Amino acid sequence: MRELLRRYQFLLLAIILVLATVILYSYNLRQKTATTFFERAVLTFSAPFQSGIDGIADTVSDAWQNYIWLVDARQHSLELEQENLELHSQLQQVQEISLQNERLRKLLAFVDELDRPALPAQVIGEDASNWARTIIIDKGTLSGLRNGLPVVAAQGIVGRIIKIAPDSSRVLLITDASSAIAALIQRTRTRGIARGRGEDLSIEYALRDADIQAGDLLVTSGMGGVFPKGLPLGRVESVKKDQFGLFQQVKAVPTVDFSHLEEVMVIVGDDR
Amino acid sequence: MKVFLPFIFTGILFALLQSSFLPLFLPPDWRPNLILILVLYLGLNENLPRALIAGLLLGAIQDSFCGPSLGLYVSVYLVIVLVTRVLTEKLNIESPPLLLLLMTAGTLLQNFLVGFYLTVFAESASVLHILLPALPKQLLINILFATLFLVLLLRFQRLFGYRSGLAGLIYQSKHHGS
Repeated sequence: MRELLRRYQFLLLAIILVLATVILYSYNLRQKTATTFFERAVLTFSAPFQSGIDGIADTVSDAWQNYIWLVDARQHSLELEQENLELHSQLQQVQEISLQNERLRKLLAFVDELDRPALPAQVIGEDASNWARTIIIDKGTLSGLRNGLPVVAAQGIVGRIIKIAPDSSRVLLITDASSAIAALIQRTRTRGIARGRGEDLSIEYALRDADIQAGDLLVTSGMGGVFPKGLPLGRVESVKKDQFGLFQQVKAVPTVDFSHLEEVMVIVGDDR
Repeated sequence: MKVFLPFIFTGILFALLQSSFLPLFLPPDWRPNLILILVLYLGLNENLPRALIAGLLLGAIQDSFCGPSLGLYVSVYLVIVLVTRVLTEKLNIESPPLLLLLMTAGTLLQNFLVGFYLTVFAESASVLHILLPALPKQLLINILFATLFLVLLLRFQRLFGYRSGLAGLIYQSKHHGS
């Protein structure tokens, strides 16, 4: 027996270790809302560095822009005359942007319309893998946040907090493969589950006979209790009905542009 | 514990680069897995107990910086370290391109294991829609960064002292005094 153990000790060690880690993973899958001590320590330790890198990146970007501006100054002055002519048309564009700002303010105000307190936060990091879609924000338990709180942007739902440290939190984006949100088509009130697919969403369990068209707005249904009802999730991009099957295949593009996400709002409370 | 501190700090540094610096320039599919390079390097160079513990620690660090659950990368990197150890007994570890070859195999194995665990245990089968299209880009960028890592390592190895084993050039240079 001892000889057998000695002969296969590497194999046995490997099997035991792999099994142990698989059990650890399975156990943590059931504890999704819990942030382990190790994760909290790493998040706490890395948050100042992530904020620092974010700040440095902004500073370098500004400095680079200024440098480019200086290099281009001579050429820029020559172009001023031409630019002056364009100012009139730009003035019209400014007015257009002003109107757009107003619209965005209205979008941001939907948090007020929901009548729920919200906390602004800055995005300081992204996921360290290429398959998971999470971001790190610069607010945590010290700001009153907790696991499960919904996170929104001016354009719609961003995701929900899944890990939390004193001064930073990890947010699971709606485009992550493990994210599934009860949703409905705003126009027809057709129900479905919006599941993340990396860059877009697939709407599952949408009945075959339901009226869904490209361009339809997808909003949260409020079922599940995490996300308030009626917040924009995405726009239907394509609808496909197979010859057989109970459901249709619907793809939607998120309303939020996650590649340019800088500030978000965390909805911190229930209805007032 | 002291032995593992450099691994932990390098792992956190790589994780910070992956999560805060590289996203400024690269879209998700084109971001390299720097920690995987480190795991393979340690799998080649350290003895089995050290390589295993380092793999587990680096997996836990990667888990803290990505995805929703602790344990996924712990298990994935453990398997990768074990496979690397088995392979190093059969391959010529004095060959410089070995790290690049292992990087290719490691990227494929890592993607397979992540897909397998998420599909079987987390029931997130839709992750395959993300993993599969990104695989060729991941292979390219990981090999590119592994090459960069190798070049830098060979250039600065005098600062850290020679280690026998890794990817040939170091071994050869140690024996040829260059």
